[in-house]
Amino acid sequence: MEVLREKVEEEEEAEREEAAERAEWARMEKMMRPVEVRKEETTLKQETLRDLEKKLSEIQITVSAELPAFTKDTIDISKLPVSYKTNTPKEEHLLQVADNFSRQYSHLCPDRVPLFLHPLNECEVPKFVSTTLRPTLMPYPELYNWDSCAQFVSDFLTMVPLPDPLKPPSHLYSSTTVLKYQKGNCFDFSTLLCSMLIGSGYDAYCVNGYGSLDLCHMDLTREVCPLTVKPKETIKKEEKVLPKKYTIKPPRDLCSRFEQEQEVKKQQEIRAQEKKRLREEEERLMEAEKAKPDALHGLRVHSWVLVLSGKREVPENFFIDPFTGHSYSTQDEHFLGIESLWNHKNYWINMQDCWNCCKDLIFDLGDPVRWEYMLLGTDKSQLSLTEEDDSGINDEDDVENLGKEDEDKSFDMPHSWVEQIEISPEAFETRCPNGKKVIQYKRAKLEKWAPYLNSNGLVSRLTTYEDLECTNILEIKEWYQNREDMLELKHINKTTDLKTDYFKPGHPQALRVHSYKSMQPEMDRVIEFYETARVDGLIKREETPRTMTEYYQGRPDFLSYRHASFGPRVKKLTLSSAESNPRPIVKITERFFRNPAKPAEEDVAERVFLVAEEHIQLRYHCREDHITASKREFLRRTEVDSKGNKIIMTPDMCISFEVEPMEHTKKLLYQYEAMMNLKREEKLSRHQVWESELEVLEILKLREEEEAAHTLTISIYDTKRNEKSKEYREAMERVMHEEHLRQVETQLDYLAPFLAQLPPGEKLTRWQAVHLKDECLSDFKQRLINKANLIQARFEKETQELQKKQQWYQENQVTLTPEDEDLYLSYCSQAMFRIRILEQRLNRHKELAPLKYLALEEKLYKDPRLGELQKIFA
Amino acid sequence: MNRPCNSMEPRVMDDDMLKLAVGDQGPQEEAGQLAKQEGILFKDVLSLQLDFRNILRIDNLWQFENLRKLQLDNNIIEKIEGLENLAHLVWLDLSFNNIETIEGLDTLVNLEDLSLFNNRISKIDSLDALVKLQVLSLGNNRIDNMMNIIYLRRFKCLRTLSLSRNPISEAEDYKMFICAYLPDLVYLDYRRIDDHTKELAEAKHQYSIDELKHRENLMQAQLEDEQARREELEKHKTAFVEHLNGSFLFDSMYAEDSEGNKLSYLPGVGELLETYKDKFVIICVNIFEYGLKQQEKRKTELDTFSECVHEAIQENQEQGKRKIAKFEEKHLSSLSAIREESELPNIEKMILECSADISELFDALMTLEMQLVEQLEETINMFERNIVDMVGVFIENVQSLMAQCRDLESHHHEKLLEISISTLEKIVEGDLDEDLPNDLRALFVDKDTIVNAVGASHDIHLLKIDNREDELVTRINSWCTRLVDKIHKDEIMRNRKRVKEINQYIDHMQSELDNLECGDILD
Repeated sequence: MEVLREKVEEEEEAEREEAAERAEWARMEKMMRPVEVRKEETTLKQETLRDLEKKLSEIQITVSAELPAFTKDTIDISKLPVSYKTNTPKEEHLLQVADNFSRQYSHLCPDRVPLFLHPLNECEVPKFVSTTLRPTLMPYPELYNWDSCAQFVSDFLTMVPLPDPLKPPSHLYSSTTVLKYQKGNCFDFSTLLCSMLIGSGYDAYCVNGYGSLDLCHMDLTREVCPLTVKPKETIKKEEKVLPKKYTIKPPRDLCSRFEQEQEVKKQQEIRAQEKKRLREEEERLMEAEKAKPDALHGLRVHSWVLVLSGKREVPENFFIDPFTGHSYSTQDEHFLGIESLWNHKNYWINMQDCWNCCKDLIFDLGDPVRWEYMLLGTDKSQLSLTEEDDSGINDEDDVENLGKEDEDKSFDMPHSWVEQIEISPEAFETRCPNGKKVIQYKRAKLEKWAPYLNSNGLVSRLTTYEDLECTNILEIKEWYQNREDMLELKHINKTTDLKTDYFKPGHPQALRVHSYKSMQPEMDRVIEFYETARVDGLIKREETPRTMTEYYQGRPDFLSYRHASFGPRVKKLTLSSAESNPRPIVKITERFFRNPAKPAEEDVAERVFLVAEEHIQLRYHCREDHITASKREFLRRTEVDSKGNKIIMTPDMCISFEVEPMEHTKKLLYQYEAMMNLKREEKLSRHQVWESELEVLEILKLREEEEAAHTLTISIYDTKRNEKSKEYREAMERVMHEEHLRQVETQLDYLAPFLAQLPPGEKLTRWQAVHLKDECLSDFKQRLINKANLIQARFEKETQELQKKQQWYQENQVTLTPEDEDLYLSYCSQAMFRIRILEQRLNRHKELAPLKYLALEEKLYKDPRLGELQKIFA
Repeated sequence: MNRPCNSMEPRVMDDDMLKLAVGDQGPQEEAGQLAKQEGILFKDVLSLQLDFRNILRIDNLWQFENLRKLQLDNNIIEKIEGLENLAHLVWLDLSFNNIETIEGLDTLVNLEDLSLFNNRISKIDSLDALVKLQVLSLGNNRIDNMMNIIYLRRFKCLRTLSLSRNPISEAEDYKMFICAYLPDLVYLDYRRIDDHTKELAEAKHQYSIDELKHRENLMQAQLEDEQARREELEKHKTAFVEHLNGSFLFDSMYAEDSEGNKLSYLPGVGELLETYKDKFVIICVNIFEYGLKQQEKRKTELDTFSECVHEAIQENQEQGKRKIAKFEEKHLSSLSAIREESELPNIEKMILECSADISELFDALMTLEMQLVEQLEETINMFERNIVDMVGVFIENVQSLMAQCRDLESHHHEKLLEISISTLEKIVEGDLDEDLPNDLRALFVDKDTIVNAVGASHDIHLLKIDNREDELVTRINSWCTRLVDKIHKDEIMRNRKRVKEINQYIDHMQSELDNLECGDILD
């Protein structure tokens, strides 16, 4: 590997060196170079290795430096609250304590890396890591459990690698900032996730440690996609029923036991060989997939979340990788070591050796030998009582007291400086930055979208590949949401070209699953239905080019199965419409469940209509205490006897086998009636089959339409997207507004214009009052007349126009096209309508006008300003 | 009279009339021809219409066993009779006749629709057997007492009732009364009862209905109590220890024992009797409880046995069915192959093969059956042994308990004798303090009398105990033998039936093949 890398190195160098104008020469040299290198390789191995290592680290650093996380210039710090920009005295005190602690620690453990205690925040202020945690319970019920929280954090933020993969970052931003910009490094991720988990009651800790390359770079290409993993089928062990007292003894076994044993042995051998072969194959595959060794293995800094057991019914400790949101056991080999961990109350340093990854670590934070804590007494985390007895605890307490300085004892962790973590509903719904995320897994690619982002409702797509390079697509799964046709999942198998659509309950045709290769009718397809939503109780309909099979459940006629096979379509010479040429039905087989209301020998279990041969076969249900079932066969031949009379029914037209012969079934009349009945049923069944075919056509048509339209449903509670409710709301507002206007209008002062003519502030004399009243009334009268005139004028205008139009029609009637005539007629009806309305309004006005006049008069009498009037009349 | 032409002669329901009616109302056209050819049996007829025939007396209907619908309207019938055999009747129309009382319907338990419109009925009764009655038409009759409605409360399925043009329908409260007392009714006098009317009626008659309901409930509870008691006793009887859970046996011992009763007035005997009774009852209760326990044990034993046998038979049947299904599949294909084959020698060969298959199937099925028979026999024998043992143990234990009873009795007898003799001595000596009843004093004449009296009492007691024991033992023994016999008989029946079934099936297959052969040869 090293050699290879070096080669690349050299190549790059060469390219840089060679000028562009001498491109050809360069290319030749480039081709020569590797050969030379290989020659030198053996002699200079040691040197090159060392050199390479140096170079590698250099390069990585420079590369990382070129990839800046969002720097502080991109962050607008002006709007941040004060707590972000300054430290309170308590925080200052805490920082001093931390410095002191750090000094002691580096003194005691000089060979360990410095602690990650108080990185700078976005305002360049040092903040203690524990105070950066802001425990918050999110208002979304979906975020109550750790798995959904982790998934949310991993979806919501975009991962940015650490500036220096070997060191913890110099800055640790607040979760609010991180949420705002939707990106961050692993420390930002785990800080946010830890805040959320502690908020919802978990015993969670941020961990500063070392992870594998895949973990640090969020590289899932070696992980199997969790969606592709099939849940393991739990094999139910068959409980051996204790033989009851009177269980019959099995018949004597007359086989040779020796032969059996030999057979078993042989079988086992074959199986063992098979297994071996499989294992070898698997190993070979594993070899191919194995990761290249990482030069910086065990040095890459990573941060993740530790959840301890105890709270929220967590049964055992586990890690959560915040990048992926997956949980890992504490034994997982991706996690290579822990430096320190903290929650919102305290900070612990791991004093245990991590030579064997995290496998041997014991997460008993109360144990000061394994975990050195920074603050005393704030959160004496659980001391597992299982390992030490009480006296042990006391001893430890003493040790703790001795080892700690006095000032630490009564010191509490200050409150978090971070603002309340808030996620807006929109952001929560959109989840991923821009609502889109792509994750590459081993042989699979997962794409996610926010709901309503895609116009067809697509929310995620999983593409599975055959090979590791992801070139040959094996199958595609697409999940949809909010589709009006209730489509939930579309599964396309690329190898067989089989498409399967899954639907949620509520499709107009009660579809559940539809798998097909082509949307053409009369091809292979399977349609499953929600049988409770269907009147006919159909569960499944399978089609092949020549057959159609239907399965039913819960029908009053106990039909459970109908199979129809078709013959080749008869070519019709006449050019009638193609639809009315159904394929001829050759055979219909129907099966029925047992009808408990009928005796078994009268309850048909299966009937076969051989349509072409005019043959009907019946098989009855088997009685409980029998092993044979009755059968009956009808042959319908229309024959003529020697005298030329039509033979209605002869005994040989019905062959029957009855388990318990009955008398009445021997009668020709009975047989005749049964046959006639069956004939009718056959006709019905044929009709049913034909209808089923039609229904398939209809479904296909509907599906095509739905696919083309792919409309999305919007919940009535979704006030933002729901146009209708928005319109309604706006209309309501408008109505309110108008109502308000009207109210203002009614409060208009009818006397105001007249009063304005008089000098203000004077009391009205009687004469003035009478005058005013008369004036007001006459004005109102005039207005009423004007209004009547206006209506009248409009009425006349409409009538005239109509007359004109009619005249025009009379004249041109002969030459008019039908469209014009239609136009004319519609105009006429509309005009008539208008005229009638005008007429009505006029009449109404005429009726109401005197009343209104009187009402005004009344009002004027009562008006306090015209009080003079009352005096006289009173 | 219902008819204007009442002068017409009444006609008799004779065979000709019925035949004619059946023929007319039977199948038509092609089916009719067939029916004529074959004749119709009266017992196959499902519906019969005999209206406007001036029938006076219902007769000759006994053959119509399966009749569902019978119309006898517009005749001059005066008495409901001759319908006893028509147990499947669902619909009976007797409207426009001259019937005066409802009778003769006690066997028609399936009747759902009964029309007695336009008759002379004055009282609704004798309908108790018609538990499925849904529609009852009694319009245009002479019912004049509203209390007849209460009789109708027992028909839980009754939904339609017509009582119009009866004297009671004149009453102003008529509709309300019916609605209130028959709350499940949906149609009254051809009209749907609306909810409003129902509510009104209910409110109006609430008190009397509540009272009625209360009375009905009491009656119901009483009936249930009776039923429960009877069931309990039945249960005890199956355990053969009925009446042993109390002092019943003890009381019966003294019921016929006049001497004993007399002697109980002796000083000190009362107490003695009390303790004796207590002890005796305790033993009885012991027997009783032991009997119940044993019964439970026997029952579980029997259940396990029948379950196992059932499972075995089911398993065997499944195997048989599988064999037959497999055979049929093969047989069908070979039959069609034979039909299509044209070469005669080939056909013969194939037919031979087919019959070989059939006999192979026969062998297989019979082997299965024989195997089952053997297995079952073994199991049955085992069960028989166990159950007989169980019964034996039970009898033994009961006998020992009974012996304890006898011991108690002897002990009591001795004590009684002692007291009697001492009393006699006292009487003889003349220093008896207490007064004795005269009939008791009569016993104390001499020693022999008193000893005899006490002895007789003792004998009666022992006899009672012995009888009870004997009864128990005989009954349980006979139960045991009957059970075992039945199991054996059932098994034999089953075996015969299965063998017959197999033979029948094989015969059918063989004959089918033979027919095919004949047909081919003829062709």
